Amino acid sequence: MILQTHLLNNALIADILLKEANLGNAEQFKSELMSLINKGNKYVIVNFEQVIYVDSSFLGALVSALKLAMNSGGDIAVVGLNNDIRSLFQLVRLDKVFRIYTNTQEALTGA
Amino acid sequence: MPYSEKLTPELTNMPKRPKILLVDDSPLILMVIGQALEKEGFISRKAGNVEEAMTALENEIPDLILSDYQMPGTDGFAFRQHLMTIPEYKNIPFMFLTSVTDHAHMIAGISLDAIDYIDKDTPIVVIISKINNFLNSIRERHEHTIRELSSAAIALNLYSVPQEIPRINSFEIDFWHKSFENYPGGDFIDVLTINNRYTFIILGDVMGKKWGAWFFSFGYLSYIRAAVRICVSEGDVSTKSIMQKINSVIYHDPIVSDVLSTLSLVRIDPENETLSYTGAGDLPLLYFSSRENKLNRISSSGLLLGISKEGGFDEHLFTMLPGDQLIMITDGLIDKETPAGKKTDLNSFIDEIEKYLGKTNSFATLKHDGFLNEKAREQIDDCSLIFIQKKQLNDITNTSA
Repeated sequence: MILQTHLLNNALIADILLKEANLGNAEQFKSELMSLINKGNKYVIVNFEQVIYVDSSFLGALVSALKLAMNSGGDIAVVGLNNDIRSLFQLVRLDKVFRIYTNTQEALTGA
Repeated sequence: MPYSEKLTPELTNMPKRPKILLVDDSPLILMVIGQALEKEGFISRKAGNVEEAMTALENEIPDLILSDYQMPGTDGFAFRQHLMTIPEYKNIPFMFLTSVTDHAHMIAGISLDAIDYIDKDTPIVVIISKINNFLNSIRERHEHTIRELSSAAIALNLYSVPQEIPRINSFEIDFWHKSFENYPGGDFIDVLTINNRYTFIILGDVMGKKWGAWFFSFGYLSYIRAAVRICVSEGDVSTKSIMQKINSVIYHDPIVSDVLSTLSLVRIDPENETLSYTGAGDLPLLYFSSRENKLNRISSSGLLLGISKEGGFDEHLFTMLPGDQLIMITDGLIDKETPAGKKTDLNSFIDEIEKYLGKTNSFATLKHDGFLNEKAREQIDDCSLIFIQKKQLNDITNTSA
């Protein structure tokens, strides 16, 4: 299990329980996140607070899930990025694709 | 494959230390076997009962499980049966290590797809040999499969890196590519010269896993080659237009639209000495200006291919002066191991590579003094770098002479 979830207001918070989010766990992350979306969760907030490092495969998995969410009228927001991961998002322009917030509370009010 | 170090077995990283999950209610057994395994180069994880073992599996998939049969609560057979119902766990090789060794139990154990049923009285060295033999045979079979698949791919002429780089009079173009643990990966490189004038340099990274990503890299490359040729034949040589065309095809194609890719596209027009660059979710180009003696970045604004209908692409036009160098990279190269853990750090990569640039033999040095291989060794992804240099005037005369 990579994602630990709980409902808060209208959103589903999904905490990533990994330090290194990489090729080795990207597929599993994708299928867990996609099944949350397929279960009808419209607004999912993915929390990276525990994550130190993300690679491109993992980002790819996150983007695939976003496409699925958007096709079903939902959205994914991203919170808890450390400085390195935030710069990686900017470096590959994913900051233009995802709504990024500092924390869950901010994501909920921004929603 | 001149500079590609793909699929050469001698470049494989050191084999990883296999992880063994020990499950036994006796702390003494856990300690003794655990120490023996560690001494032999294994990593051992210990669980005192089946519940602890399940928690350990959630954190990490071991290479093998060595489990007792008789344990309070859930016994080893029930544990094995439970694992067989879980797709992620059912293929982890499973051995019983127990003192219950009557025939009926041994047969029952083996029939649960266990690879062995070992008596606890067996000397530890023998137990370790059995584990080693088994893991070696798995590894050999795995390597054999990879070799077969690779030779099939080569026979089908499926390459995601070029066999040869076209020569352009006033530019030197070269590349370096290294796959991750010899799996073909998601990086793709191509260089095409069209109408004897424009040379297009393509560097992309399909985000995904090993063979899957490698397979899709062909799909992407075919689309990209086709889009480049169609646009040029229609008289549109703008890298931005070509990128938009590629993006739109990928966005609407249900098969590849699920797979995401970065793309850096550079066009060289030797006739008026200009270059044009458009990027999609890629890393910035690194431009070494010989006049300023400084490394600059050229960043594009485009999103990953296939994410959105428009993509937000831009186009950078520039001219390279003799001695100037341009570097295109994929993200495999910029990760770094630090005491606080892994991080992605373009800035330190730039700091480190800068000292190699601005020399006539920059690329050869990068390749041969180990800088690139050193970088690749730290990575868990495939790595690519394309190097473009505007030749010095006397070099051009020499080549054409």
